[in-house]
Amino acid sequence: MTHVLQLQWDPPTFSVQNQRRSVNLFHSLLMSVKNVYVSQGAPEYDAIVVGSGISGGFAAKELCEKGLKTIVLERGRDVVHGEDYITEHKPKWEFEFRGRGDRKLLEEEYPVQSRSSPVNESNLHWFVKDTEHPYIEVNPFTWVRGYHVGGRSIMWGRHCYRLSDLDLEANLREGVAVDWPIRYGDLQPWYDYVDDWVGINGEALGLAHLPDSQFLPPFPLNSGEQVLREAVRKSFPERYVTIGRTAILTQPHRGRAACHYCGPCSRGCSAGAYFSSQSSTLPAARATGNMTLRPNSVVHSIIYDPESGRAAGVRVVDAVTMEQLEFRAKVIFLCASTLGSTQILLNSTSTAFPDGLANSSGTLGHYLMDHHFEVGASGDLPGLEDVYYRGNRPTGIYIPRFRNLGDRATRRSDFLRGYGYQGDARREGWGRPTTGFGVALKEQLRDPGQWRVSINAFGEMLPREDNVVELDSERTDKWGIPLLRIDCTFGENEMAMRKDMMQSAVDMLEVAGCSNIATFDRNDIAPGLGIHEMGTARMGRDPKTSVLNEWNQAHDVPNLFVTDGSCMTSAGCQNPSYTYMALTARAADYAVRELKRLNI
Amino acid sequence: MERREALKRIGVLMGGAVSLSTASGILGGCKVGPRSEPFVPKTLTAEQNELVTTISELIIPETDTGGAKAARVNEFIDKMLTDWVEDDDKQRFLSGLDQLESSTIASEGSGFLELAETDQIRILESLEAKRAQWREAVGEGTASREERPFFEMMRELTIAGYYTSEIGASQELKYEIIFTSYEGDVPYEEIGRAWS
Repeated sequence: MTHVLQLQWDPPTFSVQNQRRSVNLFHSLLMSVKNVYVSQGAPEYDAIVVGSGISGGFAAKELCEKGLKTIVLERGRDVVHGEDYITEHKPKWEFEFRGRGDRKLLEEEYPVQSRSSPVNESNLHWFVKDTEHPYIEVNPFTWVRGYHVGGRSIMWGRHCYRLSDLDLEANLREGVAVDWPIRYGDLQPWYDYVDDWVGINGEALGLAHLPDSQFLPPFPLNSGEQVLREAVRKSFPERYVTIGRTAILTQPHRGRAACHYCGPCSRGCSAGAYFSSQSSTLPAARATGNMTLRPNSVVHSIIYDPESGRAAGVRVVDAVTMEQLEFRAKVIFLCASTLGSTQILLNSTSTAFPDGLANSSGTLGHYLMDHHFEVGASGDLPGLEDVYYRGNRPTGIYIPRFRNLGDRATRRSDFLRGYGYQGDARREGWGRPTTGFGVALKEQLRDPGQWRVSINAFGEMLPREDNVVELDSERTDKWGIPLLRIDCTFGENEMAMRKDMMQSAVDMLEVAGCSNIATFDRNDIAPGLGIHEMGTARMGRDPKTSVLNEWNQAHDVPNLFVTDGSCMTSAGCQNPSYTYMALTARAADYAVRELKRLNI
Repeated sequence: MERREALKRIGVLMGGAVSLSTASGILGGCKVGPRSEPFVPKTLTAEQNELVTTISELIIPETDTGGAKAARVNEFIDKMLTDWVEDDDKQRFLSGLDQLESSTIASEGSGFLELAETDQIRILESLEAKRAQWREAVGEGTASREERPFFEMMRELTIAGYYTSEIGASQELKYEIIFTSYEGDVPYEEIGRAWS
């Protein structure tokens, strides 16, 4: 393959001459891309942010707003907000396969991405071609990625739930893995800070184990969901059916428009009604004049300076030209996604860190987690034939965790931790089972079918040392970076929990009066499908057993911060991106304070 | 939705964040383009295409809205057979189509397309009865999905092709691009049709 390039990057690094040449080339290159973010100026930056997704976008905003000259390195292509949302509002009859996607293309070029339910014909351009971005599955692990400016914040699920002390104390209480170095009190002001910027809608429930955000008005439940809510409340006092808490605007907020209920958010939203790096944090960072955003910049590794004990900068391969570049800065925020960041750290070897940068503990790459899901039930809800809904609500219902809440009543002897449900009630459409043909069939399908309720559980996965990612010793990608080998499986606790996840779903549909209840449990369930991969560079109190401290700062390298999902010490059962935003804002605040005190 | 109205509403929603030309690009779906070239099937023969067109219209006929023929469901079916349907299903579909024609000639003395509509319907009713038997057998575990009969595929492709077409989705059923709010408990008669 002509693109394979074995990079010769051993310390000492590039000469100054090389660096200058690279920078010049970099400026001339930028003149040719359509979106010129770069202001001409010094090649030395205050901060480098690797990645432009949920975490990288937030890091860029915070660091730029605090006055740091920041370069954001994104490995994928450039995306212009709005203009590049090429399928937004496109009706299904304009898609070649009416939204189903090109089966042969998916099988040949997207065999991993297409295992995942969010991937479809209308958003395929946001997902990587597996043929171009290989990795090694020692055990099945679905690694779903989007390489472009904005990352997966363009097609994320948008659900936002706070972690609580029930989650943050769980490892300590149960003797699992290591203790989180933070508690809810540390996170709470930063969740509040994120709420104020992002705009999260939802219903306040006052639950200690799922703390309320500072909510925008919630989306309403529909009639079918109201029936479920009342029935569940009556039969199970500890269970709540509430609306999904999501980063979607129900009213205008900080210059972004309210939702217009078109439906398929993952195509991109020109109105910026849902939060993404594109709609929110990158424009804020750009507005400061302090941001340089460089797409097509694959970070190869971090340069470590043994004299100062600091990270000096990063090595980059231009994804298009294959040019090797270096960027240097005072502080580095690694936000390249859980596995992306860990891959970079593992590939940053030196005499001081032969097993990967900031890996004196040997825990880097270990304790990979995801959420396990695609288990639950659906059922017909009789009646309500005379009511319907209007608009495409961009969220569904949520049922917060109700197992192992710390009291006797909710304690389970068969598994640790817990799960929540997402789901909805809707009337069946034209795809429902029918018989016959002709005018009678057409008339029948002109009306919606009966109501059907479906709930799908998302469960916590325990951190296990043997769930690990490593660099392959032989194969590299086309930029000369060793491929990741992912070896991760669910354990007994997850499998025991799944039985209860299914049974509790049936119980709730039964009390709601559902008939024809059908259970589901994806038989090829394996980690990664939740697209909530986390861990592998965990936070902890002890440098001997963790990579990051309570500020997401590498124990070993004080000017290196990792604030994406790789920092997670345990998984909770809550959708995690919101926590990454809070941790990122908190870490950026700390990093800038430390910079000013000349501590880093 | 009227294109002009949709543009206006999107312009308001976005608070001038995008230009009108961008909004107009976003709303490409409101355009109804004229037909430039006659349809030439890629997998179906000309005769099979006629047959598929006629059968699809019998499954979803024209009423106060266009039917499968107006929605060009035959073109969708040819596309799916060419690029989507697995080979063994495709072969079963095509041989099922040919078998329908040959058995019609044997029993009726002329091809399916020459029959009066009532006779065509009578033949499809027998296919539908066999389909129902097959579905029942699948439910009981005595038949497999792999053995699905021609009319199961024909019916499924027609329904999918029609209700995802512009006529099926936006004239027969209800389709709007944008809304001012989500309402979860609207009297059905206010909407009157299923959302597509």
